[in-house]
Amino acid sequence: MTGVKGVLGAVVAAPLGWLARLLEAPLRLWQRLAGQTGMVAFFLLPNMAIFTVFVLVPLVINIAYSMTTGAALFLPERTFVGAAQFERLLRCTDYTDLMTCQEDQFWIALRNTGTFVVLQVSLLIVAATITALILNRALRALSFWRAVFFFPVLLSPVVVGLIWRWILDRNGVLNAALVGMGMDPVNWLLERNYAFSAAIGVTIWAHLGFFALILLAGLQAIPRDLYEAAEMDGTKPARVFWRITLPLLMPNMLVVIVLALIRAVQVFDEAYVLTGGGPGTATLFLTQYIYEVGFASLLKNPGLAAAASILMGGVLIVLTLLQLALGKRNERRGKLK
Amino acid sequence: MGRIQLHDIRKSFGAVDVLKGIDLTIDEGELVVFVGPSGCGKSTLLRMIAGLDKPTAGRVEIDGADVTARSAADRGLAMVFQSYALYPHMTVRANMAFGLQNTRMPKAEIDSRIAEAARMLEIEPLLDRRPGQLSGGQRQRVAIGRAIVRRPTAFLLDEPLSNLDAELRVSMRAELSALHDRLGATMIHVTHDQVEAMTMADRIVVLRAGKVEQVDTPLNLFNRPANLFVAGFIGAPGMNLWAGQARDGSVHLDNGALLPLPVGLHVPDGAVTLGIRPQHLRPQTGGPLRAKVRLIEALGPESVVHADLGAEHGLLAVLPGQPDLARGAVLDLGYDPQSVHVFGADGQRLG
Repeated sequence: MTGVKGVLGAVVAAPLGWLARLLEAPLRLWQRLAGQTGMVAFFLLPNMAIFTVFVLVPLVINIAYSMTTGAALFLPERTFVGAAQFERLLRCTDYTDLMTCQEDQFWIALRNTGTFVVLQVSLLIVAATITALILNRALRALSFWRAVFFFPVLLSPVVVGLIWRWILDRNGVLNAALVGMGMDPVNWLLERNYAFSAAIGVTIWAHLGFFALILLAGLQAIPRDLYEAAEMDGTKPARVFWRITLPLLMPNMLVVIVLALIRAVQVFDEAYVLTGGGPGTATLFLTQYIYEVGFASLLKNPGLAAAASILMGGVLIVLTLLQLALGKRNERRGKLK
Repeated sequence: MGRIQLHDIRKSFGAVDVLKGIDLTIDEGELVVFVGPSGCGKSTLLRMIAGLDKPTAGRVEIDGADVTARSAADRGLAMVFQSYALYPHMTVRANMAFGLQNTRMPKAEIDSRIAEAARMLEIEPLLDRRPGQLSGGQRQRVAIGRAIVRRPTAFLLDEPLSNLDAELRVSMRAELSALHDRLGATMIHVTHDQVEAMTMADRIVVLRAGKVEQVDTPLNLFNRPANLFVAGFIGAPGMNLWAGQARDGSVHLDNGALLPLPVGLHVPDGAVTLGIRPQHLRPQTGGPLRAKVRLIEALGPESVVHADLGAEHGLLAVLPGQPDLARGAVLDLGYDPQSVHVFGADGQRLG
């Protein structure tokens, strides 16, 4: 150990110490000149600069793009059209028939994303809750099972998509197994409902561990005494769950729901690698629509993509504000206890 | 209703034997206190009676029926937990109603039971609050109320006062005793606080290392402890216990002191331990105990004197009033020979 420490000391600590000594005098001088507020600004500057260049400026440019039209890449070369792109996105002759909408692809993506969010989030929450409840029991090799469920979270979304494509492909592992058992192969990714279900199932598989872990932490924070008190009272397991576990899990549950909603609205990578939006437009989601309109289609329309991304951003902002509000409420409740 | 019998109750967690064969009968309407140091198995024993844990061997009987295999809910008992275990998201009223709703009791009956218990415990104004809005003492009352409304055959109380501050503990102690008198139900109270045990119990069960050391009324435990452990555990401050040699009706201590034994008590010659309660020592010129004062705790009505009895032994004496003593002073003490306790080499009481 001392050897490792010695090497670390020589390689890392010594040069850092040398650097610190070197910087001390100029920093002290600067502090005297800048004052306390000035120093705060000075240390925040690098972070703010990165945030500005990579987040704030693109955001502003994006808003500007959403009010222009044409295929030109540079903003000064683009034509200002005001809110026309938003109008184009939202205009339909008959809102009960998406085919009458000017940008029917946007509406299809919106409908698909809406359906996806409702189904995926509800199933995900139920599955994560059940997983957490099982993991919360005094299970043998608990850490092992926890790792098993958490492992997919560590995978890159593209890897997740590829793994499942190999499994669900026409000539994939699942069909090989079905044929091996004497059954007919199924076109999992080429049939609308199967493909949509696959997108839901795969994203649940990929994110389950993360949400189950948050819920598990909540379950483990519920005192055992409460369950024993319920046991003394002869409470049936279902009533224990609905009347004790679930209400006490609610703060964590709400956070999980909002986080899951945010992720589901943004669904893209796993689903795109898995189905590419198909068959047809069966699994075309909003992010993919934005990506394709802005970058991938033959008739690139960055202005339209920017407008769609702003609409989607609006939904995400509402959800994020909800999450922050919940976080604050939990904090207050925590203090009350 | 409410007679509880334990037959050779044993409990092991892996290789560790926590309870090593407990036999005990608790009579109907009795308030029995399980007392003992941490880890003696008193809470485990209570959980066996409650049905929250199953004994490794042995039998639990309630009113003559073997309930060992029955679930906690089917034993007709109610428990008050150390942490109170109130459901934090429910109002006091909902907390008290929860167990009754499990039995599909009509709402009117539930309401009347809650009203009655709330009146008894003076928690009526708190019924619509949540546990988080209550003080420690109020939560304690609610926890007891939740037990009362079930009208159990016996109440099991697991260190219910240990989370309260000293002042509140004293008043809740009295309230619990009064409640026991009013309800007339069997109560088993677990505590590590021997003062709590002495003040509340009809009978005390002293436990050590998974075994019953003695079962008796508080005063009998104090006056006639069955062995060295009980002698040392019951009473505050603790009994003076000195090892010595018994010879010719006296005990010779290592420091040369010669202490007379009670008249009529036959103690065979040999190694014994002599016990004298600090309260039974009195200043006495030329008395058999000569001690050097180390520390004086003046409590007002009485003073606790810590002294050295030669190099080997310490001595504690509770003297009335505020004696004029200084640190380092030499004090001669005597006692009524009838008040001493003698324990044999095996630690058991002689006589």
